[in-house]
Amino acid sequence: MTATVPRTIELDIRGQICPSTLLVALREMNNNIDELNSGCARLFIKTDNRDCTNTIPEAAENMGFQVTVSKSAGAYTILIFK
Amino acid sequence: MITGLLLGLCTGFIMHRSDYCLAGMFRDLFLFRAVFKLRTLLLLVICSMVLFETARQLGLLPLYPFPLFGSPSLANVIGGFLFGVGMVLAGGCVVGTLYKMGAGSVPSAVAFIGLLAGSALYAEIHPWWSAVIAQTTFQKGKVTIPQLFNSDPLPLVMLTALAGGIYFLQVYRKGGWIRPIYTEGALQPWKAAILLAIIGLLSAVAIGMPLGITTSYAKMGGYLESFLFPRHFQELAYFKALPLNYCHPLTGVPLVGGPGPNMDAIAVIQLPLIGGIIVGGACSALLLREFRIYVKIPLRQYLSAIIGGMIMGLASRMAPSCNIWHLFGGLPILAMQSLLFLAGLLPGAWLGSIILSRVIVRAELPSTSKQINQGE
Repeated sequence: MTATVPRTIELDIRGQICPSTLLVALREMNNNIDELNSGCARLFIKTDNRDCTNTIPEAAENMGFQVTVSKSAGAYTILIFK
Repeated sequence: MITGLLLGLCTGFIMHRSDYCLAGMFRDLFLFRAVFKLRTLLLLVICSMVLFETARQLGLLPLYPFPLFGSPSLANVIGGFLFGVGMVLAGGCVVGTLYKMGAGSVPSAVAFIGLLAGSALYAEIHPWWSAVIAQTTFQKGKVTIPQLFNSDPLPLVMLTALAGGIYFLQVYRKGGWIRPIYTEGALQPWKAAILLAIIGLLSAVAIGMPLGITTSYAKMGGYLESFLFPRHFQELAYFKALPLNYCHPLTGVPLVGGPGPNMDAIAVIQLPLIGGIIVGGACSALLLREFRIYVKIPLRQYLSAIIGGMIMGLASRMAPSCNIWHLFGGLPILAMQSLLFLAGLLPGAWLGSIILSRVIVRAELPSTSKQINQGE
């Protein structure tokens, strides 16, 4: 059984100018790399930018994370975890 | 007119579904060393090259090389450079801004206003800039590379297409054309590239020119300016020029027009195209139920969009013309103006990427990230 609930870092980047979604995601991954790596935290990104549903998973998978992408209420959510 | 509207609708729809963002292609090359989508632009250029040349051989392009293309000058490089900076800051090029605005993007709508303002602003420097163009034009009377060597375009086109084909085959063997699809209704960018090349061909055959839209930005900007500052507007020679003046041999329709805010041939060709791209992007987003408007975005991004739009509008008149015109229309016929435009566009996009990542996005970080659900 899991003893601790992973901390969720939520980013809402809906509506923002083009590459900021990926840039912000990358920076947050780097800033929280230890917590993410140890499974203590996961990154939850809300975006309406269709392109970054490709670019963010690609970058995260290259860093060794698992990624899921889902759609709800007209926007996409990307979950990054170990 | 209906042709323009239909071509625009298809262009907007295709670009939205495939995220065919030209500004993004060049930006991501410098920011992330990503070439996946830039490769599909190369595919588009080579496809267009073959299609245009085939059409020319069949006698479907009697105006080859296309009207409004001229001899190269320093202006092409400088315009391309500024355009590169502007499109990255604006978050989309002159067409990307349209389909994104159609899909509900507020920064793109702001960039669109910047584009109109920048295009109208050009009229102020037009007399001076025309002199710069006149002084730095070289190879007068020659428009394309084949003309430079006094040769027929066919051998060079075949050679380029062959080299491109070999490269594309290698990419195909490595699976470099396909990316995983997470979004609903997405279109692989390579398919978009081929469809857009076909749209470019249809435009070239139907109206004698490739896709272009930015003269109409000057028109719209000028139209607004004629209301705001009517007296000053009357003094601007730029809005009285009629650079487009030819008769389409296939249809027999005379096409005359310029940047002035009149319903001339340029308006009839370009305005439906612009409207079509906006509506095409909107239709695509609405059908997916992804049309949403978010206004709560950092102020810096609004500033970036308006300034980027203005630089891009100004640059598209200085270059002259936009990236779609040069990359989709000029490069495939190896127009020297377009090659120089690209030579300027690359360092411009590089500079824009640096400004964007260091100044625009970095500073807003603390406000966008918030933490919830603190673990026990």
